[in-house]
Amino acid sequence: MLIAIEVGLLILVPCVAFVALWLRDLMSAVIVLGAYSFLMCLVWTGMGAVDVAFTEAAVGAGVSTVFFIAVLFNTTRNITFNPLDVSSKLVALVACLGFGYVLLQGVSDLPDWGDPYSPVNAGVSTYYIENAYADTHVPNLVTTVLADYRSVDTMLETTVVLIALLGIFMILKKDRPAQSDSSDTQAHDSLIIRLSARFIAPFIQLFGLYVVAHGHHSPGGGFQGGVILGTGLILMAMSMGMASAKRLLSIPRMIILAAVGVLIYAGWGAVPLVYNGYFLDYSVWESVFGSMARSHSMLIVEIGVALTVMCGMYGIYMSLVSDGGMQEGL
Amino acid sequence: MTTLSYSVAIILMTMGLWAMLSKKNLIKKLMGLAIFQTGIILFFISMGAKEGATIPILDHHGYGGIYSDDYANPLTQILMLTAIVVGVATLGLGLALARKIYAHYGSFNEDDILANLREPNE
Amino acid sequence: MIINMVLVGLVAFGTTVTHGGPLHSVFNALVGVLLIAGLLFFLSTCVGILRFPDFYTRLNAAGKGDTLSTILMLVACALMVITSAHHVDRTVVLSAIKIIMIVNFIFIGSPTATHALLEAAHWSEIKPWKRNDPPC
Repeated sequence: MLIAIEVGLLILVPCVAFVALWLRDLMSAVIVLGAYSFLMCLVWTGMGAVDVAFTEAAVGAGVSTVFFIAVLFNTTRNITFNPLDVSSKLVALVACLGFGYVLLQGVSDLPDWGDPYSPVNAGVSTYYIENAYADTHVPNLVTTVLADYRSVDTMLETTVVLIALLGIFMILKKDRPAQSDSSDTQAHDSLIIRLSARFIAPFIQLFGLYVVAHGHHSPGGGFQGGVILGTGLILMAMSMGMASAKRLLSIPRMIILAAVGVLIYAGWGAVPLVYNGYFLDYSVWESVFGSMARSHSMLIVEIGVALTVMCGMYGIYMSLVSDGGMQEGL
Repeated sequence: MTTLSYSVAIILMTMGLWAMLSKKNLIKKLMGLAIFQTGIILFFISMGAKEGATIPILDHHGYGGIYSDDYANPLTQILMLTAIVVGVATLGLGLALARKIYAHYGSFNEDDILANLREPNE
Repeated sequence: MIINMVLVGLVAFGTTVTHGGPLHSVFNALVGVLLIAGLLFFLSTCVGILRFPDFYTRLNAAGKGDTLSTILMLVACALMVITSAHHVDRTVVLSAIKIIMIVNFIFIGSPTATHALLEAAHWSEIKPWKRNDPPC
């Protein structure tokens, strides 16, 4: 039964992707891309990857759709057509078909779907599954591997988010921001939207904190929680106007918070070096936390990740929607 | 099911590559990039799936023994989890670049941008 | 608020129902009825979105039908969590309460989103459909 649903979804997914690429109105294409992301979430949930599906629902379907719309809102949603340049399109099509053909030839050599003894599923992942709970007392294996066994990887990924945030600030920075009066940005203001956003936003933030803290026992963790926290801030910025959103969290404060997130991560990892441990080896904290040392260290590290990701998502949205000037937006 | 999920992943990758190569609109190119990324993620997740296995969160705190056949592979999942978040950060960077290009040349279309580059006085 | 009280009462009542008793089958039937009603409302929403003539009427169908059907199905899920559990403990009740929280947020969020869309349409001066106009 579940397999039948999975097969249906897998057939539906390329069709939706094709529609998203084929539509000639950019706004509709972005919305269809959001629907595509949600379908992908269902596929991954069916394959047992709940954490990945959670991340995709928050990031792929939620935040990246908002980013696309923020850009299209300031520019154009129309696609201009030139006289068709058939030769280059033909070359691209032939190249892509060749690429796909060669890869499809290799499919028959891959291990069977769902084979527990394939090379991917043997090896180190077996160790992770069988020993993670004894080592760290955290039931969610994904969190364990993310924040403990492969911690350096995650630290650098967090740094990538910080660097992307700084890069966007630099690309869209204006030397002298234009002084626009804030009165006309408040013109399209609706009481209903403002009140319900103000009512929901604290609950979104609370849920974000819950996802960060409860990531040890259920799907979730620093990345998902950070994205949800950022979404709450984006909702406030959308409904209350840019000026009050900037009062909430200004640009210098945003950059400092994002950097502090990475610093928490790296600093917590660097302390064991003083006590003759390895970088990011949390077991030296056992003198403080006892047997829960690695579990508590993971929580602290995830808080750092959540801070960086929250500021990253919020800062990217603010820059994109206001064209870098941070003066007015949606 | 054995070949279907791999084939769908490859079809999505091909589709994304085709969009990146042949579409003239910069936003459509970024959408192609996003679709290429999800294709790769689907490939990794279907590699890590196990038939009859549950999600990689231990039941009852591991009492009664933990067998690796019972839980889906967490390793491929965390690789892809971080890839999604980094993917959206780079997508934001790409959108910022497209936004800047639009402010300069007034178009998302590659041909218009190229024409403007060749005749900067226009 | 009244809806919340009714839901919490239903869940609390559901925890006292013993497995396999006559009340249990009544609860199961209630779950089935709620699920089917939700799906029917979803179907009518889809038909409405496809068949109504202009933006405002389509949004009417989407906003109302979508909210109602989602809430019906979520209530069915909350009851099903309770009735299908072999032995009711803290985690089961907690899951049901979480689903009821989701009902509340959808109850606030979905009409607000519809309202935002309608206002955006009003600003961009989309004319409402009149009788005898060609459908767009």
